[in-house]
Amino acid sequence: MSAKSRKWLRFRVASILVFSLVLYVALVSRAFQLQIVSGETLGKLADRQHRKSLTLYPERRLIFDRNGQQLAATVMTDSVYVDPSTAEDRRRVASKLSSILGVKKEKIVKALANEGSFRWVARQISPARAEGIRALNLEGVHLVREPKRFYPHRELACHLLGFAGLDSIGLEGLELKYDECLKGIPKKVVWGRDARGHNIYLDEGPGGAVDDRSCSIFLTIDSKIQYIVESQLRRAVEGLGAKGGSVIVMDPRTGGVLAMANEPRFNPNDFSSYPADARRNRAVTDCFDPGSVFKPFIVAAALEEGLVSETDVFDCENGSYVVGDRVIHEAQSEKFKELTIPEILKYSSNIGTVKIAERLGKNLAHRYMTKFGFGSKTGVDLPGESTGILRNPRDWREVDFATMAFGQGISVTAMQLASGMCAIANGGVLMKPHVVRRLVNKEGATVKEFEPVPLGTVISPETSRKITSILTGVVEGEGGTGKNAHIVNLSIAGKTGTSQKFDFTSGKYSAKKVAASFMGFFPAQDPQMVILVVLDEPETSRWGGAAAAPVFKRVTEQILRCSNSGMDVQDFAAVETVGEARIIPASTSITDMVYPDPEEDETVIPDFQGMSLREVLRMAQSRRIEIKTAGTGWAVHQNPAPGVPIEGNQPCYVLFDREG
Amino acid sequence: MKIDRRLLINFDWVLLGMVLLISAIGILNIYSASHNLYTRGEPLYTKQLYWLLVGLVLMIITFSVDYHTIIRYAYLIYLVGIALLFLVALYGNITHGSQRWLVLWGFSFQPSELMKLVLIIVLARYCTDNVQDGFRARNLLVLFAIVGLPVYMIARQPDLGTAMFLVLLFATITLFVGVGRKLILWSVAGGMALAPVGWFLILKDYQKERILTFLDPDRDPLGTGYHIIQSIIAVGSGSLWGKGFLKGTQTQLKFLPEQQTDFAFSVFAEEWGFLGVVVLIFIFLALILWGLQLARNSRDLPGTLLAFGVTMFVFWGIFINIGMVLGIFPVVGIPLPFISYGGSSLVVLLMGAGLLMNVSMRRFILQP
Repeated sequence: MSAKSRKWLRFRVASILVFSLVLYVALVSRAFQLQIVSGETLGKLADRQHRKSLTLYPERRLIFDRNGQQLAATVMTDSVYVDPSTAEDRRRVASKLSSILGVKKEKIVKALANEGSFRWVARQISPARAEGIRALNLEGVHLVREPKRFYPHRELACHLLGFAGLDSIGLEGLELKYDECLKGIPKKVVWGRDARGHNIYLDEGPGGAVDDRSCSIFLTIDSKIQYIVESQLRRAVEGLGAKGGSVIVMDPRTGGVLAMANEPRFNPNDFSSYPADARRNRAVTDCFDPGSVFKPFIVAAALEEGLVSETDVFDCENGSYVVGDRVIHEAQSEKFKELTIPEILKYSSNIGTVKIAERLGKNLAHRYMTKFGFGSKTGVDLPGESTGILRNPRDWREVDFATMAFGQGISVTAMQLASGMCAIANGGVLMKPHVVRRLVNKEGATVKEFEPVPLGTVISPETSRKITSILTGVVEGEGGTGKNAHIVNLSIAGKTGTSQKFDFTSGKYSAKKVAASFMGFFPAQDPQMVILVVLDEPETSRWGGAAAAPVFKRVTEQILRCSNSGMDVQDFAAVETVGEARIIPASTSITDMVYPDPEEDETVIPDFQGMSLREVLRMAQSRRIEIKTAGTGWAVHQNPAPGVPIEGNQPCYVLFDREG
Repeated sequence: MKIDRRLLINFDWVLLGMVLLISAIGILNIYSASHNLYTRGEPLYTKQLYWLLVGLVLMIITFSVDYHTIIRYAYLIYLVGIALLFLVALYGNITHGSQRWLVLWGFSFQPSELMKLVLIIVLARYCTDNVQDGFRARNLLVLFAIVGLPVYMIARQPDLGTAMFLVLLFATITLFVGVGRKLILWSVAGGMALAPVGWFLILKDYQKERILTFLDPDRDPLGTGYHIIQSIIAVGSGSLWGKGFLKGTQTQLKFLPEQQTDFAFSVFAEEWGFLGVVVLIFIFLALILWGLQLARNSRDLPGTLLAFGVTMFVFWGIFINIGMVLGIFPVVGIPLPFISYGGSSLVVLLMGAGLLMNVSMRRFILQP
């Protein structure tokens, strides 16, 4: 090669070299752009392609009463969704679905008009409807199994249980309060998916079982008592034309709530069709002026401080007593002259209580009110509890303090009253009220036991005995205001109350709108149950003694009756402290567990078993029960079961069979 | 053939080292791309290893024979290459709708790959003989004929990618040898005039689709654009450090198409990241520079042309393949030299490397 051509060659090689360098720099810059500049974005895009994740919830656990009766269960139901991308004839599909589901046709057409491949049409439908849809076998319409919360006893303990909504999320009541416990800890499961859609577990995201720490809860509630309380409360509210009402039954020794009922109530299986008003657990959320049921707390405080003694006589000023710029009167324009302390409570003298309070003084009175738990939350394990209103004693005028002595001008919840009453009944210790007894894990082992929690000593056992004996006089004594609660052979301590409700529109206490209440416990010598009855704005009978005391009485009677041994209070006490809970299948009706003597009691459904049609009809007529029959021969089955209280005009179904 | 001691002294160990290094990276990469892939018989990386050994033997043969001897028999070699292409057209195996493979004694082989090297040899010979100082039009016509026949035969297999690659190789070599300015203008004008004709008459629908998709990959994300989008996602998600050997999710979960062949570089980029990419491209660049250096320092024109041709063969393979994987070049089936799975490609490349070594070790020896 010539020198010239060699030089020329070098030049050409050099240009090619530059050319290839340029192209390689282009490649590296492009790699830089993809991997460094947009690396993160593309990385996410890659993740989205192959990473799939799902939040797994353990199955929602159950709620049982103290005896193992299932109150909240989970059942599998069908839900319907459409896949708009595969549905063929929208109008036809929509009209067929609409006719079965009762969902508006337009709504389904709209769902089908969506992009994508998933739209709910109806959730948690009945098995019959699901069967109908399955039979249609429509393209693009699918059923999927979902867990649904189910409350086998419908309204029973509805305010306590609350409810869980779609996707099993607790929304109210215990379902809300113990949501995390019932729901368990959800686990996010991450796995890979290959290009063909197969699932592959990556090194980083192992699958595996959910760490199921969810627990079923056992309540202190006894569904037998709850059932009695609810039916009696309902009967009273309807009978008296009241706006509502609450009943609390507590064990004063532990603070455990045995029953808590409110009116109006709702069916948690269908909670959305009830107004919020019916879903409120008034016993803990609503405050009211307690009225005379508050007097025992003032008297107990004065006795405890030794400022008064039972035999002290108070001049009740013949029915009018001037405090500050106001005149205090007795209820129902009574006029009392000189009364001892037991008499003051027995006749519920306002002036007498005011005078006791005056001896106690504002600061001591306030201290005792606080010690009894007023003005602060009781700490009951239910959501939405109110504190009530207890003002600072420095802000009390003379007349405020005076009216407060008979329960006007202080605002309390039924829960506070009941737990305060427990302290009087149990020898002076304020217990923390609770409704959950223990948590039980999937294997059935108790994970946590809720022991009774004493919050402090309010009064001495001595004072407790004294005030109990005074309150027994209210029920048992001649002319006592609580005489309507009296039950033969059972020593009951109690106090009536009738409070004027504060009318927010006029800014004054209303003369017509009252809360009638009765608060009591039994047996007085060894209190095992505290029962508080509050009726909101009863119309036909407005006094606590007339309206609320009979409810207390009927509830007490039925509780005693449904305990296996009948009237014997000592045995009843043994039954009361139920030990180990049994698990009873949900199909067992709550009413199967009530054992009164149906032959004697005219207010309950009799046992028709073995009777002929003629006999059944005669007995039904005498008790004013509407009967619906089926079959011929002898009665073999009935609903409601024997011993269930007769409710209004609810019919009783009786099945007859020749085989007997 | 006498063994000259100087041949051993001058043996290009650096070149051999680079080739073996890149081939080793290639086999590791194929292992990652196919270890969880079900194939009949031996796993792909084992097969590639066998092909590497076969290729090394052929490489030794290639550099043992003096390249002047090879140049002497250039036209014979060309005829053999063309004959093989004829055999493919007559008896070739049809896979994926194209007839590219020749099966001999149980080995399947792609004569079109071999044609790349054959073309380099024949062009070296023709240019040495006829165009010492630039082309004349007559030379160009002969050259067109020489390159046109194999290009046509490969295009009708159909394997447009390889056919275009031959044209590109041819163009690079002729440009390097030297073409008058007029001729360049003439060719460009003619090419532009022929382009629409080609579009409507020669290109098949799927080929047109590829070109359109290159211009806009989102045109058909699950169809033709799928390859390039998945490749970009895989490369990009590798980021700076990469996901690690055997840890590339897009690769291992098979989102990446053709991952051991045309998109082998995506696998590498995903698992080794930008740093790996820079290192690999640097090694490639070193190889190219080495080849150009050999072309420059060769003692005669045939040596220069052979070295240059083989270097360009490797260079265009790298640029087109990586450009395609990174989405700056249309999807054409050009393998990445020494990295992509494929026996024919690897063996031919190793023979090409043998040619380079041949030129390299003889650059100080005078022609007898």
